Amino acid sequence: MFTQTLATAARRLLGTKAARRLFLDRQAEILLAELDPVWSLSETRARVVAIIDETHDTKTFVLAPNAGWQGHQAGQFTTLEVEIDGVRTRRCYSLCSAPGDRHPAITVKRAPGGQVSNWLHDELRVGDVVGLGAASGDFVLPAPLPARLLLLSGGSGVTPVMSMLRELAARDAVADVVFINYARSRADVIFRDELTQLAARHAGLRLLLCIDDGFAEARFAELVPDFAARDTFLCGPPAMMACAEKLWAGSSRLRRERFAAPVPRAAGASVQVSLIRSGKTLAISGQGSLLQQLEAAGERPGYGCRMGICHTCRCRKQSGTVENLLTGAVSSTPDEDIQLCISVPRSDLELGL
Amino acid sequence: MSKTLTPQEADAFGRELDAVRQQVLADLGQRDADHMREVIVLSHRAEALGRLLLHFGIDPLTFIAGAGALGLAKILENMEIGHNVMHGQYDWTSDPALDSHTYEWDIACTAADWRHSHNFEHHTYTNILGKDRDVGYGLLRICPEQRWRPRHLAQPIAAGILALNFQWGVALHDLRLDQVLSGKQSFAKFHQRARPFLAKARWQLFKDYFMFPALALGNAPRVWLGNGVANLGRNLWTWAVIFCGHFPAGVRVYTEEETRNESRGQWYARQMNGSANIEGGRLFHLLTGHLSHQIEHHLFPDLPAARYPEIAPQVREICERYGQRYTTGTFRRQLGSVIGRIARLALPN
Repeated sequence: MFTQTLATAARRLLGTKAARRLFLDRQAEILLAELDPVWSLSETRARVVAIIDETHDTKTFVLAPNAGWQGHQAGQFTTLEVEIDGVRTRRCYSLCSAPGDRHPAITVKRAPGGQVSNWLHDELRVGDVVGLGAASGDFVLPAPLPARLLLLSGGSGVTPVMSMLRELAARDAVADVVFINYARSRADVIFRDELTQLAARHAGLRLLLCIDDGFAEARFAELVPDFAARDTFLCGPPAMMACAEKLWAGSSRLRRERFAAPVPRAAGASVQVSLIRSGKTLAISGQGSLLQQLEAAGERPGYGCRMGICHTCRCRKQSGTVENLLTGAVSSTPDEDIQLCISVPRSDLELGL
Repeated sequence: MSKTLTPQEADAFGRELDAVRQQVLADLGQRDADHMREVIVLSHRAEALGRLLLHFGIDPLTFIAGAGALGLAKILENMEIGHNVMHGQYDWTSDPALDSHTYEWDIACTAADWRHSHNFEHHTYTNILGKDRDVGYGLLRICPEQRWRPRHLAQPIAAGILALNFQWGVALHDLRLDQVLSGKQSFAKFHQRARPFLAKARWQLFKDYFMFPALALGNAPRVWLGNGVANLGRNLWTWAVIFCGHFPAGVRVYTEEETRNESRGQWYARQMNGSANIEGGRLFHLLTGHLSHQIEHHLFPDLPAARYPEIAPQVREICERYGQRYTTGTFRRQLGSVIGRIARLALPN
């Protein structure tokens, strides 16, 4: 509490225009980082205090954040930032801990070929420091709590609903909860021991671990006949989610969280570009650089050389895939900076313009 | 003199240089980010040491060491950190501390003015008479192609004054005072351009010549003088490095006519012929912000500058194969050449 007040005061003081003009904010940041890499007035960072092996390909990273961490609601995600070979790389992960827990935690499953998940598994050690974005997302338990809940997950989609269940258990509010998790095998069930213990302790919790049978509609309706009357929180692989969504047919009782990335389109296909700051959505042809296409659509983004050297037209791409015309590299990294004059869209995009 | 490339040769030349660029881009990684962070910490420590020595010392020895350390900190911050970070050389790291769009440097020129006049104008239109305002900075005649005017008679003195006050010359550059005098820029536009400059200049002067001296209480005059010496040292050093990179013998200028519809390969050739290198050791290169490799910098302004010494032999080999002049020399020789040119061109051809 004290450190938080102190940090807020220092942040306010160093955030003034005068302090910035005198470079005091930057000096303070360098000094703090030299004393302890987790200290910062401008960034939320966290030290890894424990790494737990959940299954053969899933680990939980328990984090001790600095004073910048504002907490989270059960079901929300954070943007984890790690430096991989000099590049600060960000990925969104659902927090699996309950909001009241001493330390926030994320649980990460190795994605085949996934740069960040594999790096976290292979390289991240206890004591290392990572960056954290403020918790966000509206996949959260409503207040007041619904009378009947269904927490439905597949694979690593269990993490946000686990946070909800832990929260309910901590508040002793497990009144009528059905918790279903689909997994490939018994060994693949994340949090299996804890779930079993919770089910033994809370009479209101009905735990169903569905092993190796995939999501089948008929079987599911048999397991939970009153599913349509339950406020449902769904998170899982795209195929499972698509299947489950059909059952609810647009009912507002169903809330969803998706982990999947956009699919790149072929070169030259037309795409939708959402401009976040101006709130516009444009349909552009996908031919030529983004700068040319935005200009053709009547936008006036700043630019200079138009050949990729001066970085005046750099802009934040929040999501989507672009190809770099100079290097030919295709990138789908969320929250990365691109140069409009040498980027062509390869999927729908969200730009910070 | 460099050979004029045919369009086909220029394309091949461009492809070879693109390949060099690609090879560095593919290899960027932790060591580049670590290098920049080490320089930032080094500059930070040099500044802290310099200020401590100036504030708490009483003897001339600590004064010299203190002013030297502070000058070193400013040189590192302005050249290796500020100039290179603002070029976007480290944007790939996604580190907000190394972000070209938000970085602000410890010098009178505002980062926004610099990004426009330097990163865009100077680096895109390098050495095109009438488009690159860095050719003599609208003040000096540094090539015989520029028209002689009587005021150029005084240019050896003007160049000396510019060297002593280089940060102010750089800061005023994008305000285009000359264009107000010649009627090409309205006073309103000039006023609009001057506002951010005045705001920054006020704080820079306040910091070095009021705040830090005031903090030193009785030692204020010593700190005031020490800050002045540090700024002066940085001014002379940056002036020398930048003039040696663009104005020694062997560097040529272009007309707008020549550069109309130029291809990427021709653009590369112009960058190469418009720049000159300075030879030296690792420390020397670091202290110039690797602008001692001005040729490599102009070819690849957004590659991390610390990589220039590595690719210089390759660039030179490509250059020689295509009959392009790779101008390089010792610091003494290049500086002598620049000073000789300024003196000679004070007179009509």
